[in-house]
Amino acid sequence: MSDMSSEHVAKIIDFLRNGRKAEDVSLEDVMRLAELMAESFQSFFKTMDLAIYTELGEMAREIANMKEELALLRLSDMRDEHIPTAGRELDAIVEATEEATNTIMSAAEEIMAADAADTDAYQALVGEKVIDIFQACSFQDITGQRISKVVSTLNALDKRITTLVEKLKILRITDAAGNETEAEKRARELMLNGPQFKGEGVSQDDIDAFF
Amino acid sequence: MALDTSIPVLVVDDYKTMIRIIRNLLKQLGFEDVDEAADGTEALGKMKERRYGLVISDWNMEPMTGYELLKQVRSDSSLSKTPFIMVTAESKTENVIAAKKAGVNNYIVKPFNAPTLKSKIEAVFGD
Repeated sequence: MSDMSSEHVAKIIDFLRNGRKAEDVSLEDVMRLAELMAESFQSFFKTMDLAIYTELGEMAREIANMKEELALLRLSDMRDEHIPTAGRELDAIVEATEEATNTIMSAAEEIMAADAADTDAYQALVGEKVIDIFQACSFQDITGQRISKVVSTLNALDKRITTLVEKLKILRITDAAGNETEAEKRARELMLNGPQFKGEGVSQDDIDAFF
Repeated sequence: MALDTSIPVLVVDDYKTMIRIIRNLLKQLGFEDVDEAADGTEALGKMKERRYGLVISDWNMEPMTGYELLKQVRSDSSLSKTPFIMVTAESKTENVIAAKKAGVNNYIVKPFNAPTLKSKIEAVFGD
C-alpha cells in the first residue's frame, strides 16, 4: 500500500512546497489538492478492499462450518425436549414426595389420636395405618427413577456445552463480570445459603457448644 | 422446674409439612396452643396482635426471612423479650453467628428430632 501511495504523497508534498500563500490559493489549487488526496486514498482503499474481502470470505466459511458443527450437537433437542422433560420430572418428584409425606403424616396422626383403651380396635387401626405408610414409601422407587433421568439430562447437557465451548474456542475468553441481580444480592445479604452437604455445614453439636 | 406448656407458641415456616411436623412434636411435648405463620411478615402481624410465649421460625422465607423477623422482633420494645428459636436448614457458620448476634435464643439445624426440639425449648426456659 505504501508503494502505491508514495507517488501521490510526493505530488501532494510538491504541491504544498510550491510556497503558495493563503491569498494566492485559488479554487483550482484546492480542487487539484483534493484530486491528489482522492487518488492517494483510492490506492489505499483498493488494497484494503481486497484484504477485507478475503477476511470476510474466511469468516463466512468459518461461520458455515460452525453452523454445521452446532447442528451436529442437536442443541434444539435439549431446548425443546430434554430440558422441559427434566423440569416435568422434577415437578412430578415434588408432587410425589408431598403426596407421600401427607399420607404418612395423616396415618401417624390417626395413630396418635386413636384411643388405645379398646385394644382390638387400636391394633386393627395401627395395622391398617402401618400398611398405608409402607405403601406411601413406594414413592422412593419412582422418584429415584425420575431423578436418574434428570441426572442423565444434566450429564448430556454438560457434555454438549463442553463440546460447544471447545468448538467455539472460547475457553481462553475470560468470563465477563456479571452484574449481581436483585435476587442474588438479597440471597447474599440475608445469608440464604440453603442446605449444606453432609459434613460441610456446622453440626448441631457445634451449634450447641457455641450457644 | 416443669416446662410451662400452656404458653402460646407461634411456628413460622413457608413449608406446610414442616409446620405440621413441628405442631405434632409440640403436641407430644404437651403444647396445645400452637399458632402458625407462613413468613416473617405474617408472623410479625400476628405477634403485634397477640403475645406469644415462644416463636419457632424457619430462616429462608419470602418476602420476610426468619432472620429479618428476628431483627424486627428484637428491635421492637414490646416484642423484644419473646423467646425465639431458629429451626433451619441454613447451617453455615455465618448464619449461626449472625443469628446469635441478632439475639436468637437457640438454633436447630434441620433435619432434627423430637428430643432436640425438646432440649432446646427447655434450654430457652432454663429447665
